[in-house]
Amino acid sequence: MYDELVAALDAERVLQTPLALHVYGRDAGVYRGQPTVVVLPETTAEVVRVVEIANRHEVPVVARGAGTGLAAGAVATEGGIVLVTTKMNRIEEIDPDNRTALVGPGVINLDLSKAAEPYALHFAPDPSSQAACTIGGNVANNSGGPHCLAEGSTVNHVLALEVVLADGSVAMVGSAAPDPIGLDLRGLLVGSEGTLAIVTKILVRLLPNPPDVRTLLCSFDSIADAAATVSGIIAAGIVPAALEMMDQAITRAVENWLHAGLPTDATAILLAEVVGDTAAVEAEAKVMAEVAHAHHARDVRMAADDSERALLWKGRKAAFGAVAQAAPNYYLHDTVVPRTRLVETMAKVYEIGARHELQMLNVFHAGDGNLHPLMVFDASIPGMTEKVQQAADELVAACVAVGGVLSGEHGIGREKRDLMPLMFSATDLDAQARIKETFDPHNRFNPGKVLPTGARCFDLGASVPPGAWV
Amino acid sequence: MSIRAARTEVASRALLGEGVETLHPSSIDEMAETLADATAKKRHTLIWGGGTHQGIGYRVDPDLVICTDRLVQVIDWEPDDLTVVVESGVKIADLEALLATRGQTAVLPEDPGGGTVGGMMAAGVSGFRRARYGPTRDRILEVQVVTGDGRIVKGGGRVVKNVTGYDLPRVVVGSFGSLGVIVSCCLKLWPTPRSTATLTIEPGRLVDVHRPLAVLSDRSTTKIYLGGTEAEVSNQVTRLGGETQKKLVWPAVPHRAWAFSLRVPPQTAAGLIAGMPADADFIHQVGIGEITIAAPSSDGMAMLRSKAEAVGGALIVTRAADDGFDPWGTPPPTLDLQRKLIAAFDPQRVINPGRLPGRI
Repeated sequence: MYDELVAALDAERVLQTPLALHVYGRDAGVYRGQPTVVVLPETTAEVVRVVEIANRHEVPVVARGAGTGLAAGAVATEGGIVLVTTKMNRIEEIDPDNRTALVGPGVINLDLSKAAEPYALHFAPDPSSQAACTIGGNVANNSGGPHCLAEGSTVNHVLALEVVLADGSVAMVGSAAPDPIGLDLRGLLVGSEGTLAIVTKILVRLLPNPPDVRTLLCSFDSIADAAATVSGIIAAGIVPAALEMMDQAITRAVENWLHAGLPTDATAILLAEVVGDTAAVEAEAKVMAEVAHAHHARDVRMAADDSERALLWKGRKAAFGAVAQAAPNYYLHDTVVPRTRLVETMAKVYEIGARHELQMLNVFHAGDGNLHPLMVFDASIPGMTEKVQQAADELVAACVAVGGVLSGEHGIGREKRDLMPLMFSATDLDAQARIKETFDPHNRFNPGKVLPTGARCFDLGASVPPGAWV
Repeated sequence: MSIRAARTEVASRALLGEGVETLHPSSIDEMAETLADATAKKRHTLIWGGGTHQGIGYRVDPDLVICTDRLVQVIDWEPDDLTVVVESGVKIADLEALLATRGQTAVLPEDPGGGTVGGMMAAGVSGFRRARYGPTRDRILEVQVVTGDGRIVKGGGRVVKNVTGYDLPRVVVGSFGSLGVIVSCCLKLWPTPRSTATLTIEPGRLVDVHRPLAVLSDRSTTKIYLGGTEAEVSNQVTRLGGETQKKLVWPAVPHRAWAFSLRVPPQTAAGLIAGMPADADFIHQVGIGEITIAAPSSDGMAMLRSKAEAVGGALIVTRAADDGFDPWGTPPPTLDLQRKLIAAFDPQRVINPGRLPGRI
């Protein structure tokens, strides 16, 4: 197979060294895969050839962008070919009149917004990893980011996709025109985590940069007050561009590292941003400050200028990087609860942490109820990883129990695959498995992800070796 | 009376008199039993909500009509979460009236007639305010369908952000029941703007306005619809000028023998409108690329369709006086995949068989 791949691409872009297999065998999470070979195609035609070779040899193909995911969605847990899209990183066209861009899946999220800047346009999804993550990865996971509260996740900004299907054929789904006729396969492919097809080109919608912005930093003596402020702002009829919460533990970690000017003595801080017409943002910022004060905010500060605003956001987006100081390993979760259940859910999160004697840090998208509880630990201590996993499963169960879902923006991957029955009936999962089977009858693309084994009346995937959690 | 004639008006009762069996399931379980039976007997089944979008797609000559008019519960409304869960037979007008009591909206079409939530989802139509709030498929969070063979399948979740399994809610929008009859859904809500205005300006004038609710043009005028805080709206009104009404005055779509929806990349719309038959009326959603057309005949529409398809768009029939003009035009290139996907949900192809592009 190696020789065929080299013939299809070239020797430099077919990797089989132990280092390459190690580096491309994992994502930013805890699972490790065992790829047989790593390929870095540059064109759609090369992706087609790789898929054809995989079909001949009956091995899996796992598409991967920058590998910033945490749910093992891009980890070759069942071996096979890891197809890295980072060399498909051309911004082919920016069309300022139609406000669209045609990009390769390997284009880095932030690079697109930078390229669109001269036209006063931007790509709305802004995951915290946006300086590293690829748009192909965003499509696979329907990524969000702080600013998807008002603008929606990746799927709201993808107009069309060029994909390579399991039989090696190339298809175009969607259009720059609204509401293409027939089934919306584009909507189905976004968020499908590389299990249905391999995306080779993406037509995205760009948004005009807002004329004005106001960013507030509110600090509180209790998580409950901060969470109540979130509900209060929504109830006041404002849908902010972003509404982010950080607890004291994460704020201290960030301050130690970045000195962004965040108040380390507050129990919780809320970063709230409104964008739009100047008159609108002024009025909305005033209302948000009033709501915060009504919920006992000890301080409400408005970013004075762009540089202060940028620093506040740097503090927020770099939060996970700061965690490395706390302990050698971290495990980050991603769940969503209805916004009205935030206060009780946060109490439960801390309770679970305390019961397992795990330090729990929280920085999350409060405005859409998207929690990111983060546990820091030292995996070298015997029994620690099992304890973390137990606590993580309890967290997810607690969120689902109040009407939440398993993932808001990271995806299911391998990590949460077996938790799917918490949310879905056997009939629901069977329907999902039928979708997978329709697109990928031989289970070639990213096997062992998203759907639990046995979801269909027959088993879709081979079993994963026990103890894969390391 | 032919089925086609019945389909173009809200006339499910008329069907009863035509010898077509019409059923009104009163629960989701009853819907499941009804469809399992339809599959067992391979009965061609037409699903009827409000009947407002029955003019779209190829003709279905049904052995059975299933109405959703008894699935009318508002299951759950959490104003502070900005979500609502409703059964599919709930009328759009009723739901919006309910939501308005707490200053909220589901941004459903402005002039729904007797349309239902499920019908609008199945037909995949969006209202004029999509310029601000996005299309309907961006606002459906969870869906429950009953498949052609009677399975009750749920997808999505009741939260505003979710990537848990395949996005069934999104693909159900615009599927015309082919993946199942929509029986309930959870919708994202928005606060109703405190202040609104409609500005009328001369057509073709270029204006710089940030995120209006809508910009609509017809042959004689362009209207800009604004919504937001008091200060925001009054500032924009002052800046833009033009004749102003301090409320949203939506245009009525003219009622003619034929109606079409032209969907093209936004910047190509003006060129296509220039080639529209002189006797056709239209409403152009500027910046969106959707043009609603009403005309006395389908004359000239084949030419318009070929121009639309050349730029990646489509021209579909939404009301037909006869079967003389293809309702969809060229089917999408992924037809084979679409057919297989539908077969996974409706193996005997009993719900609206043949209605979709490519007669699937």
